[in-house]
Amino acid sequence: MTDTTSSKSKSRSNPDTGYEHLAPMFHELAELDEQDPRRSGLRNELVTGHLPLAEHIAARFSNRGVPREDLVQVATLGLINAVDRFQPDRGTDFLSFAVPTVMGEVRRHFRDASWSMHVPRRLKELNLAINSASAELSQRLGRAPTPSELARHLDLSQEQVYEGLEAGNAYHSMSLDEALSPDADSDSLGETLGETDTALDGVEDYESLRPLIERLPERERMILTLRFFRHMTQTQIADRIGISQMHVSRLLTRTLEQLRQGMLGDEPD
Amino acid sequence: MTGSGDERPDEIELRLGAELTNLPIIRSLTSSIAMRADFDLDAIADLKLAVDEACSTLVTRAAPDAVLKCVFKVSKDEIRFVVSIVSTNDAAPSNDSFGWRVLTTLTDHTNSWVEPNGQSGQHLVHIELAKRRADGPA
Repeated sequence: MTDTTSSKSKSRSNPDTGYEHLAPMFHELAELDEQDPRRSGLRNELVTGHLPLAEHIAARFSNRGVPREDLVQVATLGLINAVDRFQPDRGTDFLSFAVPTVMGEVRRHFRDASWSMHVPRRLKELNLAINSASAELSQRLGRAPTPSELARHLDLSQEQVYEGLEAGNAYHSMSLDEALSPDADSDSLGETLGETDTALDGVEDYESLRPLIERLPERERMILTLRFFRHMTQTQIADRIGISQMHVSRLLTRTLEQLRQGMLGDEPD
Repeated sequence: MTGSGDERPDEIELRLGAELTNLPIIRSLTSSIAMRADFDLDAIADLKLAVDEACSTLVTRAAPDAVLKCVFKVSKDEIRFVVSIVSTNDAAPSNDSFGWRVLTTLTDHTNSWVEPNGQSGQHLVHIELAKRRADGPA
């Protein structure tokens, strides 16, 4: 420990964050065998220990029209990803790896989940309530719920559920350019391209389709592959990727639209 | 007018200009119909995507000033959708295209056919889709 006068400059490059005691656990985790039962305990401790970081980042984005608890949830997911992907032997410390990862996750949520037109708060909340009820009921039923099941579960009228579902359509849809810029944050999805290739054998417009699929962001390509080549339902995909079914639906709609537009664009005649 | 009328399928028809910009109107009608038929959220989303795909396919082969005609038939077990367009092209939409794969993945029944449209050189192209109600709780 040094004198207090240097602490200011020190905090810029290597903030005195209160997470230092957790750092050795990453090395411990990295040394454990894949199957080791102690792994999950360590992982939990690392995630819980860093939770204030996720909350802090979520707070920086609050009051921008997305409910605070959603942001904390998204940031926490980002944190879990960061814990899972961090490699302590690379020489960087966890925070410089985690902060951009978590921020990226929150930004992406904003980009995907912001509302494009003014929707009354009541409807936004209704839509959010339906989203979480839908996730819960899907778990219980083993399939997506119907509007009447949602109404019963939430103690709402069916008309209210219809309204809330429709409100989801007012979510912001990204511009084409934005959607075409690849996300570099889901490295585990790289192999989906090869899989898509095999699955597309025999599709006559394969030649014009392939470059379009390659240009899709990883996550969109993953969703496309899971829905059309592995025949997973939107609810199963939502569960796998960690977003809502409505969000999967919006992304798929947009992806198919882009593919169609792209195919029209370079059709020979 | 709230009778269950199981035997009589309800038909809803929508006619509009064959423009891609009109697709959102068809999408929201589809969504509304499927919601009110109490299909599950996956089925509602799939049907919307499929209707979107079918309509886009036909819009791209529409004759100038053609009208896109959409008919929904809601019955107890399924929603059937037929979209038709007047085209100068007499080829049915290809069954080997990616778009067709999209349609067959999203629905339980997909069909397309072409018939002469009376006027010389014009044809009526149809795509038919059916989405069945998912089975209840397993």
